[in-house]
Amino acid sequence: MNLVGRIAALVLLAGMMAGCATGPKYEEVRGGFPSLDADKGRIYFYRSSNPFGSAIQPSVMLNGEKVGDSRPGGFFFVDRPPGNQEVNLTTEVEKKLTFTLDPRQDQYVRMSVGLGLVVYRVYPELVDKKTGEEELKGLSYTGQTGTAK
Amino acid sequence: MRPNARAVAYFLASGLILTAGCAHEVVRHPATLTPAAAASGQIVEVQQEAEIALDSGYSRRLARGSRWAQAGTLPQGQAYKIVGGAFTVEGAHVHEAWLVVSGGELVGFYLPVEKAFTPLSTRARVEFKPVNP
Repeated sequence: MNLVGRIAALVLLAGMMAGCATGPKYEEVRGGFPSLDADKGRIYFYRSSNPFGSAIQPSVMLNGEKVGDSRPGGFFFVDRPPGNQEVNLTTEVEKKLTFTLDPRQDQYVRMSVGLGLVVYRVYPELVDKKTGEEELKGLSYTGQTGTAK
Repeated sequence: MRPNARAVAYFLASGLILTAGCAHEVVRHPATLTPAAAASGQIVEVQQEAEIALDSGYSRRLARGSRWAQAGTLPQGQAYKIVGGAFTVEGAHVHEAWLVVSGGELVGFYLPVEKAFTPLSTRARVEFKPVNP
């Protein structure tokens, strides 16, 4: 690869990495999360470090309220009263996710990247606890340190 | 091809390309679930893996060994909610779904948030085995 090619590759790599989340890793902070109230459930939101579509960082809406941003390599969680939940992301094409939350239940919402009609798009998926806990490893906490909303 | 005909052809082709990426909405019929009594919510285990073709074009896998709790009754059959997992159906949107089984066949899904039943055109055979608590 010639010099121009190397510079172009470095610029491309820097651009892809620029949008990645920074912060303490899941393994470092999970022990410090507040315990869950008996009358609430916890919803984890996370997105892998996949650099494709990293410039697309939509807001995460839960029941119409913004609870965070979908950042590559990042995760956060919110505690909510049990009941119906609706997640959507402010992206090119809206794809809602609806699910129920029980008391003291952990739910895991993975935000995956796919190719839309024009650009990459991010959409929410509900995954089981085992998958969620495994995929959270190595991701950076982007929520409010030490607090659960 | 005449210019006007070519323009129409391009327009139609563009329309096809644009609509090709749009998934169908999951069909929903309002449904009233009669909940199972908490004490009688029997747990069952799937004995054989099944691939389910959803009417929306997506598919789902019913994993062997997955456990489901009897959650209630619908006119279409018995509703089962997954235990310790996540199960959804997908179309234009993604919805948590409970299995609806009648006569040993998966006939559709109950969507607990939407309080709706979505039927399955291609029914799938399901084998459950009760699990002792």
